[in-house]
Amino acid sequence: MPAAAAALTVLALALASAALAGNGGLAPPDAESPNAEGINQTYYFILAFTGVIFVLVEGLLLLFVFRFRRGRRSREAEGPQIRGNTRLELIWTLLPVLILVAIGGFVFYKLPGIQNIPSANAQGGRLDVTVEGHRYYWEYRYPNGVVAVDRMRAPVGQNVQLTLVAPVDDVIHSWWIPAFGGKLDTIPGQTNRTWFRARRSGTFVGQCAEFCGIQHAAMLAAVEVMPREEFEQWLASEERAQRTGSSMLGADTWAGACAKCHGQNAQGGIGPTLIGNGAFRDREALEAIVRQGQGEMPPIGQTWDDRQVDALYRYVRREFGSGGGTGGG
Amino acid sequence: MAVNHVEARPYRPDWKRGRVAGWVTTVDHKRIGLLYIATTLVFFLAGGVLALLMRAQLATPNEQFITKESYNELFTMHGVTMIFLVVVPIFAGFANFLVPLMIGARDMAFPRLNALSYWLFLFGGIVLYSSWFSTGGAPDVGWTIYPPNSVFAGGTGVDLLILSLHILSISSLLGAINLIVTIHRMRAPGMTWMRLPLFVWSIEVYAAMLVVVLPALSAGLTLLLLDRKAGTHFFLPAEGGNALLYQHVFWFFGHPEVYIMILPAMGIISEILPVFARKPIFGYAAMVLALVAIGFFSLLVWAHHMFTVGLSRPLLGFFMVASMVIAIPTGIKIFNWLATTWRGNLIFDTPMLYALGFVGVFTIGGLSGIFLAAFPFDWQVHDSYFVVAHLHYVLFGGSMFGIFAGLHYWWPKLFGRLLDERLGKLSFWLVLAGFNLTFFPQHMLGMMGMPRRIYTYGQGGAWEWYNLASTIGAGVMGVGIAVIALNVIVTSRRGRRAGGDPWRGDTLEWYTTSPPPPENFDRPLPYISSARPLRDLRRRIQESGAG
Repeated sequence: MPAAAAALTVLALALASAALAGNGGLAPPDAESPNAEGINQTYYFILAFTGVIFVLVEGLLLLFVFRFRRGRRSREAEGPQIRGNTRLELIWTLLPVLILVAIGGFVFYKLPGIQNIPSANAQGGRLDVTVEGHRYYWEYRYPNGVVAVDRMRAPVGQNVQLTLVAPVDDVIHSWWIPAFGGKLDTIPGQTNRTWFRARRSGTFVGQCAEFCGIQHAAMLAAVEVMPREEFEQWLASEERAQRTGSSMLGADTWAGACAKCHGQNAQGGIGPTLIGNGAFRDREALEAIVRQGQGEMPPIGQTWDDRQVDALYRYVRREFGSGGGTGGG
Repeated sequence: MAVNHVEARPYRPDWKRGRVAGWVTTVDHKRIGLLYIATTLVFFLAGGVLALLMRAQLATPNEQFITKESYNELFTMHGVTMIFLVVVPIFAGFANFLVPLMIGARDMAFPRLNALSYWLFLFGGIVLYSSWFSTGGAPDVGWTIYPPNSVFAGGTGVDLLILSLHILSISSLLGAINLIVTIHRMRAPGMTWMRLPLFVWSIEVYAAMLVVVLPALSAGLTLLLLDRKAGTHFFLPAEGGNALLYQHVFWFFGHPEVYIMILPAMGIISEILPVFARKPIFGYAAMVLALVAIGFFSLLVWAHHMFTVGLSRPLLGFFMVASMVIAIPTGIKIFNWLATTWRGNLIFDTPMLYALGFVGVFTIGGLSGIFLAAFPFDWQVHDSYFVVAHLHYVLFGGSMFGIFAGLHYWWPKLFGRLLDERLGKLSFWLVLAGFNLTFFPQHMLGMMGMPRRIYTYGQGGAWEWYNLASTIGAGVMGVGIAVIALNVIVTSRRGRRAGGDPWRGDTLEWYTTSPPPPENFDRPLPYISSARPLRDLRRRIQESGAG
């Protein structure tokens, strides 16, 4: 009796505190996309069965512990020497089989809605974005060549297909925005695909879920969902800005790909300080380092196009290129 | 050998009789068992300190208590320690001490091989812990050592980890072969397979599984070492290798490993519940079949650790169904344990409390496992704190509760003195409350989006509260384990003498003195006519006394 009673008390306390904040983790977050919705329904379906089994087992355990405690009986006294009961044992073998068949059946019933990526010809069209997992940042590529780092923008109500990849020299990462459903790994040498269709505007966060090295915890991701017209405008104007070199891509690349190890102000961290570094004033040197890596630094920019290298170079030259060192600029 | 008289004890030269030399040169299964158990308990304390350091770092958002480099070392070393240096070898320790006693044998089949496996185990542990002092420090890639990350990791930590796991694998393999031969060849007259104590059955399955899966680990680690040191690229996609190949090989070992760590605990519970309920185990044959079924099906479920790598739909379906199948024999065991307590005369001594606690908390771990087998839900919580919660409900709530139950139950047999009941009960309540407070909120953290293996987080609100609760719970659990240590120290000199059979046990280890003499039994064994020979004996004495 006392054992399970304490367990239940703790459980109740945990549940009560959880109730204070939304669903507080008692279920996956509110679904903001149909695939997440399917997963949540799967969760509640399984919970219905496991919840009953939980109450049954813990309840019987408490009941038996209370009812059949020794009390005033002698320590030597034996209970009835019951060795088994075929009918009972068949029941608790076959009933779980039925429950598991039901759960398995439900999973496959819901699976197409969760996993099947809507066709490009479906109503409203489809936006295809490539998500590339790097140590330790996310790079997004839109069909018109626009590149973004860590923060993805997406339209409300439109199907978005994500093509998940990682550079061949990189490690395994895992893309996960809980409100948009499950995670899927980005694996060097392999292409995975998933999708979402955001129900409303807002910013939805997540982070890398596969341990990828020293800054795994800093590999945060965000998806900013906006009305479709606004998104189309942004995508078009960003394309112009990246073509003409007036975008924020350099600053974003610095913050996502460089600053997590070298500090936002290049003051150093895991990586050495870069203040006064010659590569801030030498595009060739900068390109060599980001494409090939150096020492413990991975080749963070091996898949960048020249525009992204240019954008980073313009940014670091402006921000850090004039301080100390051998002058120039 | 032939020089000695038949009656004489084996010849022991003077230099082997010293206090230290006696232990170092021993080939007695009981002493080797004690060495195993003592060593694993030291590693358990070390692994526990690593865990407390992690919980301290995660107590509040943006905490700076531990650096990220150290944190990655902490969770790697915590996992490797608890799995390879605590749970697997402590069952080797229990098995070493108990299997020969329970089957009425004088020793293990290969006593010197037995000593070799212990010393290899100790050596493997020392190699692993020496990595703290190596270039680049301890390994920091997680206990799963996934490439490509583990191939790129600098320093020698990962190499020492691989070396250590190779040594530990050989140790486990030798121990497993020894146990299998002992169980097959050395049972007392009359002890058929269906009269074997369930703990011995669980060790039979444990050992058979080790023999089947350890070679896969050794192969995977060897290829990994070659990738790191010899310029091969089995797992490096840039050179045409395949990173997922390692995951398949690793989990072909890694998932059965989970059952290797839980089946002996189930065996322990199956010994303790009947004794303290004064009833036979409910459904002995079903319990045996369930053990074997879990062992067999555990070989077919490895890719449920890989649901997020992009497997094809038929594979996802197969591994979901196979994983769910395991729930059936597991359910049989839980219901049979419950039925064992039904109408019993339940005596709440500490071993029984831990055994009942096992049934209560292991059930939660089993149920969360059904969620994880349903792969769409797994996509949501894979590699999150939900999984951390699940695996600790299985490996702490299951394995460690079983180990604590077994330690309290067999302690008098090991040392001849009983542990103190008041301290034992206090430790149980502290460990139970602390355990649930630590790990239950982690289910919620996982569903809210907290991945495992992150050294810090920025979110406040519920994230912060659950993490804080978890850290407080870990502290409570730490106090509970300190109480167990205190109990051991206090009773080592002043504990009550146990006598041969302090609990009124049913199995043969209680037929001899505590601790048992060098060759275990100083009197002839009764003929074994059931799974409970001592109860049969008590009844025969009672009947002959009455008649």
